[in-house]
Amino acid sequence: MGIVIAVISGKGGVGKTTATANLGLGIAMNDKKCVVVDFDIGQRNLDMILGLENRVVYDMVQVMDGEATTKQALIKSKANENLHFLAASQTKDKSVLDSEKVEKLIAELKESFDFVILDAPAGIESGYEHTIEFADAAIVVVNPEVSSIRDADRAIGILDSKSAKVKKGEEVAKYLIINRIVADMVESGEMLKSDDILEILNIKILGKVPEDKGVIDASNQGKPVILDKKSIAGQAYARIAGRLCGQKVDMKNIEISDTGLFKKLAGMFR
Amino acid sequence: MFGFFKKRKSASVAKDRLTIAIMSDRDRTNGFPFMDEMKAEIMEVVKKYVGVRGVEIRKEVDGEMEALAIDVELEKKV
Repeated sequence: MGIVIAVISGKGGVGKTTATANLGLGIAMNDKKCVVVDFDIGQRNLDMILGLENRVVYDMVQVMDGEATTKQALIKSKANENLHFLAASQTKDKSVLDSEKVEKLIAELKESFDFVILDAPAGIESGYEHTIEFADAAIVVVNPEVSSIRDADRAIGILDSKSAKVKKGEEVAKYLIINRIVADMVESGEMLKSDDILEILNIKILGKVPEDKGVIDASNQGKPVILDKKSIAGQAYARIAGRLCGQKVDMKNIEISDTGLFKKLAGMFR
Repeated sequence: MFGFFKKRKSASVAKDRLTIAIMSDRDRTNGFPFMDEMKAEIMEVVKKYVGVRGVEIRKEVDGEMEALAIDVELEKKV
């Protein structure tokens, strides 16, 4: 029986889909069977990030409506055979989701995968609520920036009141990924520190991902950045995937820039 | 010349602003979970006895004490 993790953010454009794709692939690279499901109905994007847009035949709404079987709709990743993908519907809108159907789909996926990762839509509307309803845990993605953090807090609040687990009196686990950290800016006091963000949101850290131009290059090609061993964001996602698979991976301090002594000295006399 | 003393780092400004904004968001919206469900249930109970128009619930904090203020608006008598 697998674990169901919803990847949420509140605000759009913070790297939620990129995180979903990379964590899914990272988990698969750890020899776990993983399925990533795009719940962003009407705004399908995970297929592009995974480079699988040409392989989509059936989507998750068709599976929920019984027009296709799960087996027909699941797409195997080119990068790793442990990773499977279920696309969002591009033609329907978010109102097509209903609790019963979502619960059934998730229950079925849990049977055959170790990890079921749901890419939630941005915002806190019904599409979002359906994504988190049957999740065992949530990964919150934020940028070190005020609007992203404030919106994340709202999304967490809804998670705490609408989750089926919470309604049963259990707790839904929540972890934070801080994405797009710029070390120089944190050092100079122009960007919020991770510790401050954790304190404000009252949440545990899962990982810190540095700003990395390679992310856009990777999405251009449909090859998640975790495949690029030299990319610092890719390395960060690999560490996070390791943690999700139960390994003890130390939290790397990416909030200090690793510029050499000469550069630092030069900076002093600028 | 004294710019160093004058200008506060923007990250610490952000932290203060966020702390206040989020505290007030939480009080207004998710300060109390299941608010809608609770409203509906209260309405059902009161409806058994008198006509109800609506229910409003607020969380009020006064120092150490927290309370729920529940306003039930009754239907107008004809």
